[in-house]
Amino acid sequence: MTGSKIYDPYEAWKKWMNSWEKQANDALQIWTNSSDYVKFSQGANDFQLRYLEMFQKNQQLLLNQLQLPTKQDLANATKLSIQAEEKLEALEEEFWNVEDSIESANKKLDRLTAASRNISKQIKQLKTEQEQDKKELQKIDEIHFELIELKRELAGMNSLKEEIASLKALLAENNVNKERELVPLSK
Amino acid sequence: MLATETRTTFNYEKEIERWTEFTNAIKGPELGSNNTPRKLVWKKNKATLWHYAPEEKKYDIPVFIIYSLFNTPSILDFAPGSSVMEGLVNNGYDVYLLDWGIAGYEDKELNIENYIADYISKAVKRALRHSRAEEVSVIGYCLGGTFAAMYAAIAEEPIRNLIVATVPIDFSVSVLPDKWEEELKNNGFNADRLIEVYGVIPPAYVEAMFRSVTAPIYNSPYVNLLARANDKVFVEKWKRMNKWNSGHVPLTGGAFRQLTNDLFKENKLVKGEFTIHGQKVDLGKITANMLVVSSKNDTLIPAGQSLPIMDLVSSKDKTYLSVEAGHVSLAMTGKLNGILEDWLGEHSQ
Repeated sequence: MTGSKIYDPYEAWKKWMNSWEKQANDALQIWTNSSDYVKFSQGANDFQLRYLEMFQKNQQLLLNQLQLPTKQDLANATKLSIQAEEKLEALEEEFWNVEDSIESANKKLDRLTAASRNISKQIKQLKTEQEQDKKELQKIDEIHFELIELKRELAGMNSLKEEIASLKALLAENNVNKERELVPLSK
Repeated sequence: MLATETRTTFNYEKEIERWTEFTNAIKGPELGSNNTPRKLVWKKNKATLWHYAPEEKKYDIPVFIIYSLFNTPSILDFAPGSSVMEGLVNNGYDVYLLDWGIAGYEDKELNIENYIADYISKAVKRALRHSRAEEVSVIGYCLGGTFAAMYAAIAEEPIRNLIVATVPIDFSVSVLPDKWEEELKNNGFNADRLIEVYGVIPPAYVEAMFRSVTAPIYNSPYVNLLARANDKVFVEKWKRMNKWNSGHVPLTGGAFRQLTNDLFKENKLVKGEFTIHGQKVDLGKITANMLVVSSKNDTLIPAGQSLPIMDLVSSKDKTYLSVEAGHVSLAMTGKLNGILEDWLGEHSQ
């Protein structure tokens, strides 16, 4: 039995290149891992920086002569706009604080309104109760008046009773006197 | 017995297609980046705070992302399906990304202290205000992780979770060849002079720095592209990666000076000597839940640079994960997404 496999040259090339790259990088790291190399690269860097600095100075000089803004001038102008942005931001944060205080004041006010609503409700209730009390008091007054009337009538009735009693006594006395007068006559 | 016969075939049409795709990928139109929809929340100088809103919000704690200064954060939104942003948004988080933008000559004095106190701190405040949240989860990637840790150590804002991925903390662990490191630490390399002349370190210089450490000869991407030029999915990923790879941004002189002198040479962060506007950055003040992610195949930030943070912070809940990935592939392949989905989900309840 025979199986078949397709050979992919790109895959083989990829493997070879990746392995080569790894080895080359390792070799490069070993080669550059020395004080001499670091000193050399620092020297090269210093040289490049000196050249760049000189170029920058010349450029600045030329731009100054031509009355044109340098990179530093543009940076300074941009810094001003950044500072303005920061000031706006600080203002916005201040505004937040004000907003927060208003919010908290509003909350307190809401609580106060709720409490005052409650109080006015209670006052209304008290008023209604007071009205009722007034009516009841009026009724009590009426009853009181009626009672006084009744008392007065009762007092009147009492004096009538006394009069009747005195009349009764008089009548009894009369009867006794009549009987006394009749006794000698009968003798 | 099975005998294997190896055949070589030459398909003319396939070869034409291969070379056309190869040429188009190198010279053709670039693919758009930042696929996940986002809205601008705040802008300061060159920096922008973006908001990625979830379709369905599941967590109240928003996520704030800080990326490195050396390249663009588009790697975090690399491609649909593997984007960190897309993953977080689909999981229901409000995501905020602080994009540093491209520094200009006028920014040459901006240093790490400015980036943390004047940008990150303010941006977090904005994110908290915008999301109306009471706490935030901060994610930092690469140097963004160093910044996130520095910020968390001095933050007044409430940080619930701190996640740092492929983060350099201990700069005494170096990936530089030993003689380079020796010369760098003994002032054999004068960064101040370079900064004085350039002001802002050009992107080509930044790229050269990384290339010299990782792979000075770098043909393999083109070799891989030619070998797999018929694979449309691969070509698309290659184009995105190539765009990001060649997208180094200028580094401000101030930041480069502090990176070289305070961090690489003097390792001030680990020693607790780094200050931000006079305030000491003490990593021991970090109490947020912490997740540290390292990539096993990271040739730029080895695990030894990240691990010391585990002992330096005071967080009670801290996790260290070592993932089978590279420095960039951790974010690019979506591996970080899976980690965030599990850990952040648990810690954002």
